[in-house]
Order: sequence, then structure tokens, then C-alpha cells
Amino acid sequence: MTDTLKIAQADLLCTNCAGQCAYDPQTGTLSCQSCGTAHEIAHDPNLNPAQEQHYHPDMPHTEQPKFSTDRHFQCETCGGDVVFQGHSIAARCAYCNGVLVEQAANESYAILGMIPFQVDAKDALKYARSWIARRWAAPSDLTATVAGCDVTGIYVPFWTFDSEEAVTYMVTYETKSGDRTVTRTQLGTMDTFFDDMLMPASPHVTPLIRDGILHEFNPSHLRPYEPAYLAGFAAERHHQTVREGLQHNESDKALLLRNRIKQHSGKSGIVDVSYKTDTTGIRYRRILLPVWILHYEYAGKPMKVVTCGLRGRTFGERPFSTPKLFAIAALISSGVIAFGFTWGALNIY
Amino acid sequence: MSRSQKGSDVQNIAPLGPYITLLLLIGLAAGIGMIPIKKLIQIQEAKHELKHGSAGFFRTMSGWIIIAIWVAATWFFATIIGDWWAFGDLDRAIVRSLRRLEILLHILAALADD
Repeated sequence: MTDTLKIAQADLLCTNCAGQCAYDPQTGTLSCQSCGTAHEIAHDPNLNPAQEQHYHPDMPHTEQPKFSTDRHFQCETCGGDVVFQGHSIAARCAYCNGVLVEQAANESYAILGMIPFQVDAKDALKYARSWIARRWAAPSDLTATVAGCDVTGIYVPFWTFDSEEAVTYMVTYETKSGDRTVTRTQLGTMDTFFDDMLMPASPHVTPLIRDGILHEFNPSHLRPYEPAYLAGFAAERHHQTVREGLQHNESDKALLLRNRIKQHSGKSGIVDVSYKTDTTGIRYRRILLPVWILHYEYAGKPMKVVTCGLRGRTFGERPFSTPKLFAIAALISSGVIAFGFTWGALNIY
Repeated sequence: MSRSQKGSDVQNIAPLGPYITLLLLIGLAAGIGMIPIKKLIQIQEAKHELKHGSAGFFRTMSGWIIIAIWVAATWFFATIIGDWWAFGDLDRAIVRSLRRLEILLHILAALADD
């Protein structure tokens, strides 16, 4: 099954020599890979990509249905058949290596903003390898395993969510009363809000990796969706409805709310938190953020190290060496045992 | 083998009891300790690399109590062996350790509250 596509390809060719261009994170321009000419990337100054959209859960949403098929396109340069698989929105022609990026009009869920790459592949690879080399108790051959791997630049779909929460809660805590431990409860209310909660809308970036690579997010750095920024990189489009995005965000929000309630109650020894929250003022953005991904396989298990394309922060998945874990545990155990043995031998209570 | 010979063999081996038990404890503590050590490394990585106050940070930090339990349990059993080695009476060493156990459980409960 084929969908009709509107593709930016001719726009991404060099106006000087008609060579293929790719986005250069170093200069922030569209750089010709043949003659090296740098082309400025212009975008509509009237667009405000940092603007948030309101979402009302009780009102019917009018979003278009998602793509469910692979999409085919005939390369304008060589006539080759290019398939945009799944949620991909940028690809290279397998015959001429030409860059193809979908136009914004093709998006069933419009991308409201994006931040272009600021870290290039060379630095990203350096950061990823350095991250691997600094792992404690990692297998000795891990560095060598990763040495043969390269990074892939990809624009990953993210949500930002804002919400205001009117929380009614009950905390159950234990406290001392003489020699007895008694369980008490406390009721309370709290108003709190979440601003620009980032939630990945792609399996490429897990929430844990997000917290490792995206420590700071500044909406003022967002730019309008522009195919030129995607030239030379892979990209994935948004394929979740707002409702689905909010559902994915729910467990993170619940965890953070519980922590805020614990702090708000001012109690220690809390054993249970239950709450109800009235959520209003939901605002969202669908954005693309740049990441470099280094895929590797260790002991048959696929893993990845992800470097943020904005500042180069790196986090990922790593294996542990069982002998090294055992050796460290044996060393610490020996110390603890020596201390305990002496304690017992001196008959100290 | 006569009964008196058997008795003298037991007497010869008995002083080795604390040492053998000590070696077993090191092996057992190291084997079980691989899980808390893995958790310790993950916590260390989270403290340095994850955004503080984020959901991923809280998820990684939770469960740190297994490190405290492992250290406390290893220390507790080592105190019994130390007592046994010094005074040569395992039964009394166990009885004496019960008071330590009570204090230890109070400390762990307080840590868990935090």
C-alpha cells in the first residue's frame, strides 16, 4: 500500500553545483557535500515553535489518523524507489545516496518545533566511547566491542507537557509513641504544576536515558520544522495522539507527585501515599530533539548508548562483568567481615 | 578407631571452626553481594549522570536499602564468628549477638524511613 508523499529533495540540492547537501551542526547551515558551499537555512519568522497547544481531555480531538503503512517515493535524482519505513520521515536513496525528507504537510501529527543538531558525529562518537570506558565493573572487552561501532544521528519525537494539579492527599506514616510504633494518617491539599515535562515518543529513547541526556531544555531554542535541518540524519515522526502521550507520561507524573506530597506533608516514616488530583491547564508541544545513538550487542543482547545532540551529555545501557562484581563484593565483604569479627572478638554490644 | 581417639580428633578440628565459617561467610557474602554492588554502581552513576529530581533518578535511587541490609547482615554474622573465635563457645556467641541484632534492626528501620 502506498501513500502519496510530498518530499523535500530538490530543495536540498546545492544551488551552486546541484550536489547533495546535509545539515552541518558545526555551522548550522546546509552544507554541500560536493563543493562545500554553505547555504543559510531560512524559516518563517512569524512562526513561534515554542508556542504550546491547549488540550482539553473532555472535548473531542480533531487530530488526523496516524500513518499505518510504509510509504514509497520515487527519487527525483535517479528515479530509484525509496521506502519510508514505519514512522521514519527522513531517508537516503539506496541508489544515489540522495537525501529525502518529508515535508511538514505529510505529517499526520504536525511537528510543532525542533532543535537542530549542535554536536557533530565525531564528538558524539568520542562522548559515547568515553562513557563506555568510564563504566565500573564493565566487561574487559566492552571497549573493544564498542570500538567497531559508529553513531547514527536521529531526530527523536518528544512531547513537552504542562499541567496544573490540585491535589488532595492522605499520607500514612509511622511514629514512635513511647516504646511503641504507631501508625497515623494525615490529610492535606496541595497545588502544584509541571512545566515542560519531556516525554519521549519513541522507543529509541527510554525515560531513563532521557533523564541522563536531557538535563536542561530551553523552549526558546526551538525552531520551526524545516526539512533542511533533517538533511543527512534519520528522523522519526510523531505517531501518538495527545491522549496516548499523556498516558505514557502518567507514571512519571505519579512518581513526581508522590515525592512532592511527601515533601509537602513534612512527615518522616511515610509508608503509604494516596491522592486524587484534578488536572487542568494541559498544554503540549510535539517536538523533535536530536540524539546520536551508538548501537552495540554484548553477549547477544542489543544495547545502546545515546548522546544528546544539543550538549553532548551521554547515557545508555551497559552490561556488567560477573567476575568483577564478585571481586568488588568480595573485597568489600572482607572489610566488613574484618570489622565485624573484631567487634565480636572484643565482645562489644 | 577408639572413642578417645575420635574425641581428640574433634578437639583438634574444633578450633578451625571459626576460620572455616569465616571463609564460607566471605564466599557467601561476595556471592550475594553482587546484586547490592550492581545497585551501588547504578546509584553512583545516577548521582553523577541522571538529572536530580527526575523520575529516572528516583527510580534508580529506590531500592538502595538492599545495600544496607547486605552490609549489616555480613557484619552481624562476622561478629558472631569473632565472638566464637575469642571465647570458644558458639552457643553463647549466638545468645550475645541477639542484642546486637535488635540494635541493628532499629538502625535499618530508621534508614528505611529516610
